Amino acid sequence: MRHHEEENEEETMKVKVRFFAQFGELLGTDIIVEPASGTVLSGLIKEIAQRNKDGYNAIFDEKDTFREFVILMRNGKRVDTIDAVTTNVVDDDEIAVFPPVAGG
Amino acid sequence: MLSERERERYKRQILLFGEEGQEKLKSAKIFIAGAGGLGCPISLYLAVAGIGTLTVVDRDVVEQTNLNRQILHYDRDIGKKKTVSAGEKLREINPDIRVNVIDTTIDETNVLMLVGNADGIVDAMDNFPTRYLLNEAAINKKIPLFHGAIRGLYGQATTIIPGKTGCLRCIFPNAPPKEVFPVVGVTPGFIGMVQATEVLKYLLGSGELLANRLFLWDGMRSHGEEIAVTRNPSCMACGTMRKRTRKKP
Repeated sequence: MRHHEEENEEETMKVKVRFFAQFGELLGTDIIVEPASGTVLSGLIKEIAQRNKDGYNAIFDEKDTFREFVILMRNGKRVDTIDAVTTNVVDDDEIAVFPPVAGG
Repeated sequence: MLSERERERYKRQILLFGEEGQEKLKSAKIFIAGAGGLGCPISLYLAVAGIGTLTVVDRDVVEQTNLNRQILHYDRDIGKKKTVSAGEKLREINPDIRVNVIDTTIDETNVLMLVGNADGIVDAMDNFPTRYLLNEAAINKKIPLFHGAIRGLYGQATTIIPGKTGCLRCIFPNAPPKEVFPVVGVTPGFIGMVQATEVLKYLLGSGELLANRLFLWDGMRSHGEEIAVTRNPSCMACGTMRKRTRKKP
């Protein structure tokens, strides 16, 4: 994640990813990563989620796409999970990933 | 007008709201969808706060597995309709309010009729399909929907004001999957109190509502936070696109 093929002098980015509720239990609640520039939101979350199989499966389906109820926020603004594949993360981004709960 | 007895009963909160505020609560009608984990504490506290008319709808019968959280239902109520059990307790705890109970399943054919002329709808349901119906009823009647939901030690709450805030569909366009959710009574107790507080503030016209703010509670870490939510202009329930007439070819 830090540097890919080339050891170029790219500036390192720091991005905070926060997982809520069940996602947080499986993947950790606050994760700081240093993604390479050009990393897209969906790729970043996939990479982190791969640390835990149950965590990954909670967020992504068999086709590796976001489960439809998953809510993504970037710096306090909603990002449609469909747009996450084309949304680049930038330095200082704070990403929140959470599952709505449904019980009552 | 408040009776002498009511003035005594509500003395300590009249210190907060004044008699005028208490009158507002007395003249209010609140619809509570569900007499379960959320519905029990919410209706209990709205009853003792003196909301003049409470309507509680539920279709279920009290089961033993409900008793860890549905605090209006006692061990002796197992097998009884939840509406009957809840109605008894609410009338007993505050005989100065009107409590209507309706034993039915909320569906698209009856939701508007059930909500009637209520001033607000409290979402105390355990499933999203019915929540979406309540959302549409709130939009239709231009009254607030006080949303809450829980799972385990996690919960969420927000207050939806049709025309002003995002609606439930704007915030949650897709329902999470159905499941037998784990739960301990303190979580719906906590989230229910957030919702009930919202109801009181709305009726009193005071404070700051959870409008366009989704409150998230993590009981495991005792950590609360909120995230900003907004209206989705193409929302299938409240979007401005929805009512636009179809273009002619």
